[in-house]
Amino acid sequence: MTAQLRAELLKLRSTQTNLGLFLALLGLVLFVVLLHGFSVPVERISHRSNQLKLVFGWAALLGSLFAALLGALSITGEFRHGTIRPTFLVTPRRGRVVAAKVWACMLFGSAFGVIAAAVATGVGSAALTMRGLEIRLDGGDYALLLAGCGVAAALWAAIGVGLGALVRSQVTTVVGICAWLLFVEGLLLGDVGLVGDVGRFMPGALGKAASGQDPLLTPGLAMFLLALYAAAAAAAGWVATARRDVA
Amino acid sequence: MSLTGAAATATEPSLVEPVVRVSSLTKRYGAFAAIEDVTFSLDRGTVTGFLGPNGAGKSTTLRLLLGLAEPTTGEAHVFGRRYRALDEPARRVGAVLESNDFDPGRSGPNHLRALALAAEIPPGRVEEVLQLVELARAADRRVRTYSLGMRQRLGLAGALLGDPELLVLDEPANGLDPAGVHWLRTFLRRFADQGGTVLIASHVLAEVAQTVDQVMIIDRGRLVATARLDELAGRGETLENTYLKLTVREAS
Ligand SMILES: Nc1ncnc2c1ncn2[C@@H]1O[C@H](COP(=O)(O)OP(=O)(O)OP(=O)(O)O)[C@@H](O)[C@H]1O
Ligand SMILES: [Mg+2]
Repeated sequence: MTAQLRAELLKLRSTQTNLGLFLALLGLVLFVVLLHGFSVPVERISHRSNQLKLVFGWAALLGSLFAALLGALSITGEFRHGTIRPTFLVTPRRGRVVAAKVWACMLFGSAFGVIAAAVATGVGSAALTMRGLEIRLDGGDYALLLAGCGVAAALWAAIGVGLGALVRSQVTTVVGICAWLLFVEGLLLGDVGLVGDVGRFMPGALGKAASGQDPLLTPGLAMFLLALYAAAAAAAGWVATARRDVA
Repeated sequence: MSLTGAAATATEPSLVEPVVRVSSLTKRYGAFAAIEDVTFSLDRGTVTGFLGPNGAGKSTTLRLLLGLAEPTTGEAHVFGRRYRALDEPARRVGAVLESNDFDPGRSGPNHLRALALAAEIPPGRVEEVLQLVELARAADRRVRTYSLGMRQRLGLAGALLGDPELLVLDEPANGLDPAGVHWLRTFLRRFADQGGTVLIASHVLAEVAQTVDQVMIIDRGRLVATARLDELAGRGETLENTYLKLTVREAS
């Protein structure tokens, strides 16, 4: 499997797609964190938990989203461009290909998450400081933000690979992931609160809870539950890939 | 190719396992049989043309042979095993099924490097195969900028990475210029003379007639003829006549 892992790491590095994803992630983190850092009313961000959730915590959602897209593109791109044929001709034991993609994308994904958190930390605290607000996060909070975003994004990358392997269509997978994270979870479960307490156990919410954004869910438990989602998605992708024909 | 040893001749039934053995292979999509009860075997050192009209089932047969799709019934073996059970498939079989199986944003050499890594083939081999297919000069840019003929050569380079004993090619001459076609023909001939085995699906009869030892003709999913070209010539028939007799539906 290390041979396949090396191959997958080279594939991730050798097109500009993932560089583009990374730059888009950086741009969005900058934009969203600055926007909130400067615009949320003072009385709503005087507490530690509010500062985390409304300013710094955006790194978790955005890091997870872009890591999931990286994972999804890594497999749906092979079906779209036909490279899946040479890939499977060289490695006909397809489980190894899926596993290698999962690990490679988790590695890149975790970097997405950690860097997104670092950028959010930098520009978020700069924004709050310029407004004369006191920053309530301590060293432990920052460490948890970096670690939690790294783990959440890594696990979401695995979810992306699994879903991509299951769905195969690039457009469907990408639209599905964006729709789920930004609209289904973001609006229905979060703001509108339609499903009440169930929302906190949805994978996007768990990604945020992994960096301590949910007072009712410890980061460790959130990471564990999100890992279950990731394992289920990867396993489903594995099985589908092993069984289905390649055109 | 560095194989020596006795190859089976056409007259003596061989004791060695044929390189390719396909028996009663059937693939159905719903009620439609893309191929039905296809049986053949290929011996070492032969170049075989696999002919048939559009939609006859050539590519389907090759996909089943190479483990990309599973047969409904029957079996397909290369070197005595299912393709998916081969230990180092790239070192035994090289295949090109489509002329454009590349990520347009990746360079040709990086495409080959990724395959070489997965197959545990030394990276130096990438430069070698690029030279072998005469692509070395122009190759180091994104495949998006390659011409059709360059893509064919890059695909072939990928198939040759592991220095295989069997080549399986689907329409390999598509898009090659006359010099390229001539080069391919010479290359395949030399490959087979050194003990390699070649299976080419094609519908360009003239192209095949000059390259292959034997042909298999498939029509509407069924193998309708296999013949050695020298036998056809001996009977005073041309490949074109035979092909048209067997595959053209009621003359209109
Ligand atoms: N996944 C699929 N689902 C349904 N039908 C299929 C599928 N794949 C192939 N077919 C059908 O099987 C038949 C054989 O197709 P195949 O691609 O093997 O033909 P071919 O001989 O390679 O033709 P060509 O010379 O045009 O390449 C065609 O009728 C095709 O439509
Ligand atoms: Mg075909």
